[in-house]
Amino acid sequence: MAKGRHRARGLTEGQAAAVLLLPFLAVYAAFLVYPFLNGVWISLHDWNLLAVAFNPDAREFIGAENYIRTLWGRNIEWGLFASPVMQTGGVLGIGLAFFGYRSGRLTRATALALGIAGALFFLMPGFHPGEGGRWYDRRFWPTVGNTITFVALAVPGVTLTALILAAALDGETRAKAVLRTVFFLSQVLSVTVVTLIWQIMFSPRQGLIANVAQALGGSPIVWLTDQQLAMAAIVITTIWWSLGIAMILFLAGIQDISKDIYEAAAIDNARGIRAFWYITLPNLKRTITLVVVLQIILHFQVFGQAHLMTQGGPNDSTQVLVRYIYQTAFRDSELGKASAMAVVLFLIMGAFSLVQFILGREGDER
Amino acid sequence: MNRGYYWLITALSIPAFLWLIPTLWMISLSFQPNEVLARTTSTTAFGLVPIPFTAENYAALFSFGQTPMWFLNSAIVALGMTLGVLAVSTTAGYALARLEFPFKRAILVLCLVGLMVPEQAVFIPLYTMFADLGWHNSYHALILPRMAVPIGVFLMMQFFKSIPKDIEEAARIDGVGWLQIFWHIMLPLARPAMMTLAILTFLYAWNDYLWPLVSAREPERFTITLGLASIQSNFAQSEGLGRVMASGVIASLPVVILFLMFQRHVVRAMTAGGTKG
Repeated sequence: MAKGRHRARGLTEGQAAAVLLLPFLAVYAAFLVYPFLNGVWISLHDWNLLAVAFNPDAREFIGAENYIRTLWGRNIEWGLFASPVMQTGGVLGIGLAFFGYRSGRLTRATALALGIAGALFFLMPGFHPGEGGRWYDRRFWPTVGNTITFVALAVPGVTLTALILAAALDGETRAKAVLRTVFFLSQVLSVTVVTLIWQIMFSPRQGLIANVAQALGGSPIVWLTDQQLAMAAIVITTIWWSLGIAMILFLAGIQDISKDIYEAAAIDNARGIRAFWYITLPNLKRTITLVVVLQIILHFQVFGQAHLMTQGGPNDSTQVLVRYIYQTAFRDSELGKASAMAVVLFLIMGAFSLVQFILGREGDER
Repeated sequence: MNRGYYWLITALSIPAFLWLIPTLWMISLSFQPNEVLARTTSTTAFGLVPIPFTAENYAALFSFGQTPMWFLNSAIVALGMTLGVLAVSTTAGYALARLEFPFKRAILVLCLVGLMVPEQAVFIPLYTMFADLGWHNSYHALILPRMAVPIGVFLMMQFFKSIPKDIEEAARIDGVGWLQIFWHIMLPLARPAMMTLAILTFLYAWNDYLWPLVSAREPERFTITLGLASIQSNFAQSEGLGRVMASGVIASLPVVILFLMFQRHVVRAMTAGGTKG
């Protein structure tokens, strides 16, 4: 260790900070800030990947045209009963947020998130093409719908399974540690390995599921090419793959609950399932919200499963947003439009990240 | 240990076994001859036991085909990315945690905003930028974008903030410069946090799919994750199911070994990665 007796030779605090920060700030500016801003810039252009590659002047500034081409259509109207189920759900969400907050059962951030989600579900599905109208991009909103369907199935699936497993596997015994390892293991595999396994698991001719079904006297199910079942197959794969993180977060949350509460409850004969219902669940509320928001962010970006297992099919039923962006950019060469969609994706993700950030803050303040 | 406990463990062993089946099946298929698999995948116990047994698939994998090269590419990219991320994150994390300088708050906020930008929102402009530079199909094209993700900086910053200040203050009084303090005192203390960040980065690098798919277009530069995706679409016909499964096992081996060896670190890393970014 350097032990100069006099005042440090070297740099002032500010200079030292500059030296230490510079490498990161350089890569950050070059490979994140600049590309991000450039993405917004590209989204304002008619920008064909191949044409611009040959001639940099082949792009044309068209303002918000790409956003209109993606999001809007001709003769779009808003109606209260365009999609009654989703709109009713939205109204219920708003109501739940309002009364939940008033009665103190929901924190401000949760109520706000729920309220905004409810408002979106009330407003968005109300838009539909009127007489003689049509969407400029027929595939965009169904793709968003598929992505939301995927999230709506995968997130509760992962959360519920992980919560039950975490409650059952909390403890210091060897057997529980082994079981935790088993359930976590698939989480470290790559998306290509996971889809490789499950593609063949689901195969009607070679698949394990079909083989077992046949041995039991059933007939093989054509999972991945069935319009109803393809999404289910992707969701099952995703639950198997990504249960681990949720389980670990729940385990951490459960360990934060004081053991005294359980001991006191045990005197009142509240053990096992009753202890889970009356003690674990209420004390885990914040962790559950955090895990749900995290999962929404994570699964909204789904790509590999749909790209590799079903190629978005059959009939676009598993086409998801990131895959649509990828295809628009690299198959159709429409970089401008793809960038506009990427910006939309960023805004959706950003909103959820903000919720996550606020939740994290609330937790730190406690 | 009461009776209820044993019931619980027994009851949970069944789903745990079901959970393992897909992985076991992959391993078992990788040890069966391709000719048999072409006819049926459920010779013995639904194919979960590798009888008839062969190690032929693994031998074939290493004697020809591109899997060894992809594996090497993945190793280079994952190690390079890990070193790169560690270098920029420890330095910047320390500066933000401990040093006072102008615009500190602004830089912090700017980095925080960067946490909210997903890979999917920047991969198109990154593609055009790297295309203009002629950088695609190279290792640095696969490594550099991840070095710009600020999550590592925040992990390290939090860690450095948790170290008591008196050690540094004593060194300052002795006249030790800031950079020496960082290098000789703080870095050795930061080893556990660096381990967590290294594992997080390595797992990410090894398993990343979208960016390599966009950037590496020549099979010579595929990572194993990408290479596996390229052969799985036509697995049964060209390669033979056993061989593709063997590739899958080989591709998973480093991360699974990493996980089993450093389970606590991996869990901590993935939790940190999950909650912070």
